[in-house]
Amino acid sequence: MKAMSKITIGLVAAALLMVGCGGEGAKSSPKKVVSTTITEESLGLRKTDLYTEDSTIADKTEYRTAQATTSSKIKRAFQDAPPMIPHDTIGMLPIKVEDNRCVSCHMPDIAGAMGATPIPVSHFTNFRERNKVVNGTFQSAVNNYKNEVSIVHEDKLQGARFNCSQCHAPQSQGNLAVENTFEPVYTSKDGANRSSWSGGKLTESLDTVGKESYVTPEDVANKHSAAGSLGGSGH
Amino acid sequence: MSLSRREFLKSSAAASAAAAIGMSVPAELSAAANEAEGDWRWDKAACRFCGTGCGIMMATKNGKIVAVKGDPAAPVNRGLNCIKGYFNAKIMYGADRLTQPLLRVDANGKFDKKGKFVPVSWERAFDEMEVNIKKALKSGGPEAVGIFASGQYTIMEGYAAQKMMKAGLRSNAIDPNARHCMASAVVGFYQTFGVDEPSGCYDDIELTDTIVSWGSNMAEMHPILWSRVTDRKLSDPDRVKVVSIQTYTHRTSDLADIEIIFSPNTDTALWNYVAREIVMRDDAEKIIDWDFVKKHMIFATGPVNIGYGMRREGEKSLKAGKYSALEMETISKEMSKVVSHKEGPALEPYGYKAGDTMKHTAGTLAHWEISFEDYKKSLEPYTLDYTANIVKGNPDENIEDFKAKLQALANLYIEKGRKVVSFWTMGMNQHTRGTWCNTLSYNVHFMLNKQAVPGSGAFSLTGQPSACGTAREVGTFTHRLPADMMVANPAHRKIAENKWMVPEGTLNGVGVQHIMKIHRDIEDGLIKFAWVNVCNPYQDSASAHHWIKAAREMDNFIVTSDGYPGISAKVSDLILPSAMIYEKWGAYGNAERRTQHWRQQVLPVGDAMSDTWQWVELSKRFTVKEVWGEYAPSGPRKEALPSVIDKAKAMGYNEDTTLFEILFANKIAKTYALDQSDPIQKGYDNTECYGDSRNVVGSDGKIFKGYGFFLQKYLWEEYAAFTRGHGHDLAPFDVYHKVRGLKWPVVDGKETAWRFNAKYDPYAAKATKDTGNSHAFYGSIAKALPSGDLSGVKVKDKKSLANKAKIFARPYMDPPEMPDANYDVWLCTGRVLEHWHSGTMTMRVPELYRAVPEALCYMHPKDAEAKDLKQGGLCWVESRRGKVKARVETRGRNRPPRGLVFVPWFDEKVFINKVCLDATCPMSKQTDFKKCAVKIYKA
Repeated sequence: MKAMSKITIGLVAAALLMVGCGGEGAKSSPKKVVSTTITEESLGLRKTDLYTEDSTIADKTEYRTAQATTSSKIKRAFQDAPPMIPHDTIGMLPIKVEDNRCVSCHMPDIAGAMGATPIPVSHFTNFRERNKVVNGTFQSAVNNYKNEVSIVHEDKLQGARFNCSQCHAPQSQGNLAVENTFEPVYTSKDGANRSSWSGGKLTESLDTVGKESYVTPEDVANKHSAAGSLGGSGH
Repeated sequence: MSLSRREFLKSSAAASAAAAIGMSVPAELSAAANEAEGDWRWDKAACRFCGTGCGIMMATKNGKIVAVKGDPAAPVNRGLNCIKGYFNAKIMYGADRLTQPLLRVDANGKFDKKGKFVPVSWERAFDEMEVNIKKALKSGGPEAVGIFASGQYTIMEGYAAQKMMKAGLRSNAIDPNARHCMASAVVGFYQTFGVDEPSGCYDDIELTDTIVSWGSNMAEMHPILWSRVTDRKLSDPDRVKVVSIQTYTHRTSDLADIEIIFSPNTDTALWNYVAREIVMRDDAEKIIDWDFVKKHMIFATGPVNIGYGMRREGEKSLKAGKYSALEMETISKEMSKVVSHKEGPALEPYGYKAGDTMKHTAGTLAHWEISFEDYKKSLEPYTLDYTANIVKGNPDENIEDFKAKLQALANLYIEKGRKVVSFWTMGMNQHTRGTWCNTLSYNVHFMLNKQAVPGSGAFSLTGQPSACGTAREVGTFTHRLPADMMVANPAHRKIAENKWMVPEGTLNGVGVQHIMKIHRDIEDGLIKFAWVNVCNPYQDSASAHHWIKAAREMDNFIVTSDGYPGISAKVSDLILPSAMIYEKWGAYGNAERRTQHWRQQVLPVGDAMSDTWQWVELSKRFTVKEVWGEYAPSGPRKEALPSVIDKAKAMGYNEDTTLFEILFANKIAKTYALDQSDPIQKGYDNTECYGDSRNVVGSDGKIFKGYGFFLQKYLWEEYAAFTRGHGHDLAPFDVYHKVRGLKWPVVDGKETAWRFNAKYDPYAAKATKDTGNSHAFYGSIAKALPSGDLSGVKVKDKKSLANKAKIFARPYMDPPEMPDANYDVWLCTGRVLEHWHSGTMTMRVPELYRAVPEALCYMHPKDAEAKDLKQGGLCWVESRRGKVKARVETRGRNRPPRGLVFVPWFDEKVFINKVCLDATCPMSKQTDFKKCAVKIYKA
């Protein structure tokens, strides 16, 4: 029964996508393609009657139960995406100031021996500038108008990355609610398993407006903006 | 750059085939060897999700997003995102994206409210919208047309929507989901500062010694801010203290030095306790900075018998019996209630005691000045004993231990030289006394002179990515106009009418249709046409069963524009496919007043078009003579709205001029040129302005070839005009494309870090030039008050409070529904880290779906045992309004005390808003999603 409804849903989705592809001047033909109507129930994630709750049950969470040392890794979703947790986490969470069990296996010096994904160099890199208050006045350590960055490699795991579960999550098994058509493109050979985000890559392509990435006095003056002021009628 | 037609067909076909056989799409291109990202295009953008406002770097290849990383140049997040932030890469690629308008029809293809959906053209979609809007205008005037707006609109979308609604259709029945999110914060700002939005900025986190989270699970809801807090805490663990004040234990408490579990709604008592400590110990310990207080503060209060923002006696649907006897048990408290023993002592200074009947008038914003002595009197009840007894939320905690924590909290605030930041979001905002709770936070910081200075301040965090930038600053609320102007103020209307080049008198001066009233007006039959933009009101509103029924069963026409079919789409009559975030140019404004812009990264899918385009196309369907005539009184508007057709003619328009020509394609707009030599536009798609290679057939049945001018820049600049020179100054469009956002007011190209502080804020500097004061609270709203005492106004003459802020006396009061013998458990709802709001995007990202595929009912193991429930087993969660099934979780990330359960609301299959109560703060009209009474039993 469940499989049946899944196929129906799929066909509806397919029909919608095909309609979406109908093209230039061919507006009449897709209408013929879709001879069937679409019910309210077939749309979206919930395929049951919206007006009662008797037959509606949430999708069950079924995290992997493999132990940390025996689990096989889950491919990264795309180049340098945070990897998901392939093993059972019972007893490992919550993460507390004095108790972060993730690091006991994933620190780079022991990860190899544990068969764990090593915490990459980006997590030992401090990206936050050290701003200060000097004589009661705030002083910024970087110039944000010039998109300056402050990137310092340090020996310790960064405090900003201490909450592992902020980016890494266990994964329930079974069917997805809806498929996703995203296609990853890995630029490094083992990009599905390893972070490549370090060195020169950290600052690559940050000048997004090319050479003109800096704010000019002309930009600030905004002289050519005909709508840009209230013309004297203040409020 | 853009996806070619052939590639699009190819990938869609693959996706649809995969969907049909129920397996994942295996497409993946692995590098044979390490190679440069030579054919990738990286660009900056803002994250789609929460109010933190992180910067992301986004890569595209062949017209598709291929990667996202944290932007090292973005000051908010410096190279780091949370799990949702990274998966911005995948949110637009769910296989069931809406690709064509869908309309409910009968067997003959005619619109039929009871019909099933079929795909229709954009032309047909706009035909139906036009017909139904005109029908609604005829039946009930502008008040019969309503918009569910959004804190997730881009700034340009929100501005276009507001302009078309308020200046074009003359309806103020437009209100955003942001009403559910931070309306209490806004009224708190208006009442305290006279102007909206926070004093401080995120740099406070690195500069402070103390972080107090009030009812906010920052670790999940503002994860990157929490990573900054964590970094600060770990950098100096002895000095830096973290306090987590919550109704249940969660990840935010995991980092805390002190955790205070409080009974729902008693945070107002806790704030008053801290204030009492400050005031009562001042004589002995010299705690209050009297110089600061005398120069910058006055004391104030307002009425307490203001109800709970529920439906009131005499309203049509109540009279029609649409509410059950069980529901009426709670709703009756809107009219009057008996003061309880819990709240009695707190209300004594205001003239009520336990056992009294309090008759409620509807919420009012009125308030008046009182003396410091009266303020002090209002604090007297909050002794440690009284406070600890009503506040303690964990029945298993020892009262003496709890008292010690309260004292420690007060001492951290009071300690000389200790900097303190107080953060909050939904806990204090979604609260039947949300406005009060917000104002109480500033009291404490003000008296200690720990507000609007680097490292200290009460800091309201916003929930949505542009609740500040769009909903609040643009003013897509029923009562607002851009830059803190109000529709009720004739001078403000005139300014907007001038700028918008519409006749004087066009704007409607009555705007009271907050989002719950829009739902209620639909249920009452006043609103006949409603359009859902960038939100999901049929999933996200409490007492949801009423609204979905009203949408389906009443004589009305409901339209939803969305990327995916959520619950709102399902209950609609017409569904429109919207371009999603990176398929259009846009801008968002975050919780630290930072505005960030991005460019269109890829083409929309199918025939999807942006919400801006949808509004602009709609404007082509209305002419001067159709919308600008006289309207009889309707709904909340008790006077006729005059005809402005003659005035329009005097301005050079004629009866057949379209709103498109007036509002969007006017002579000013056309000065914003498309120019591929402009480094900002160069190489980037702009679907609205050029059309694109999909050749979408538009609202007139012809291929849409673009407006031919730079629409988004025009909308930005015209909107920004309202802000410049008035304390909200936004920078020019081009500037934002060259920086990672700027915190307004941006004066002479420089952003403002700490508002109201003369050292950092040019407006405060100007206002203090003569006095030499350190601060100027220069907001202009409610800055002249009558005076009186805690029981009411005594002197009606108003006194000016220029440049001053207010410290408010406000008591603890019970919420309207609390656990009792039949419904014995508190229900709190909210979000989880991995999902965004109603889950329409994140449930379609495999990694996020798999991380949290269902909404669980988090409860204490002893409660589960007592109710014969098993971990992972199904239970019913039932209130006076409805029930849902969920699985029991007793060992998860959320760990409630006995007597409280938490059920998040992202899951369509655990439709918890059928259970929640639509009581609101009666001043802000923000729903209290954090508390109602339920019973839990085995399913």
